[in-house]
Amino acid sequence: MRQHRLSFVVCPGVLVFALGAAAVVLAGVASADATDDYPIPHRMIITTCTAEQILAAARDFTPIYYERYIIDKHNKPPGVQQAAMDRAHCFYSLSSADRRAYAEEIATNIYGEPVAFQRPNWAKIFFNNKGVAAKETENCASHPPDDESVWDG
Amino acid sequence: MKRARVVGIVAFAIALAAPAHADVDGDFADQLNGYRIYGPRDFNAWMGKIVCQRLNTGVDGDVHKSVDFISANLPRGTTQLQTWQFLAAAVGNYCPDQMSVLGR
Repeated sequence: MRQHRLSFVVCPGVLVFALGAAAVVLAGVASADATDDYPIPHRMIITTCTAEQILAAARDFTPIYYERYIIDKHNKPPGVQQAAMDRAHCFYSLSSADRRAYAEEIATNIYGEPVAFQRPNWAKIFFNNKGVAAKETENCASHPPDDESVWDG
Repeated sequence: MKRARVVGIVAFAIALAAPAHADVDGDFADQLNGYRIYGPRDFNAWMGKIVCQRLNTGVDGDVHKSVDFISANLPRGTTQLQTWQFLAAAVGNYCPDQMSVLGR
């Protein structure tokens, strides 16, 4: 169990912990809980695409996975839908190092991602499947970066 | 020449789709099997409906974009002719109102 950890806000509502000098040693323990591919695939950590580009690629290259995600989204209240969109926008605005830190956080802290309590599958199309992530990141660059219609299916 | 070929495929698809059955997914699957297009029936049915949805919403604005979409998502080894047949069968079964797109 980690102690002496501090929290700071990278995105609105997202808590990512910072480790003080005394906790640097413990960071080695934490890194065993996440890898460069888990829980967030490495391709998603290094991609320069936006959430909209990722979704557009999913729509075109993993269409059934995409449809299921959109159906799940539409089954949630508008506030929860928006929270997931905001969180995705936030994630893809982070640097690779911060995305990796976020992966570490959600792998080790059950309370690290509050949206997951309202919508467990909020990031399924982005993080859950490495094959899907590969198709998305391979094909995302050719899509417009800010076409929000992709959130509506 | 290519246009005539497409029109032929479409006419054939319409002829096969004409008998009205309650089980559209089953008719679609049977038609695909006739083209030697196999794979999970629910996957193909959902793909067929997505093809129509993309035509209805304008995501695929013309027939070539629709074919590109289908080609990217059917199994490797699917021929170009089978891709066109899939499109024609999908439109014939799920969105016959979009039949005109096949001439675009």
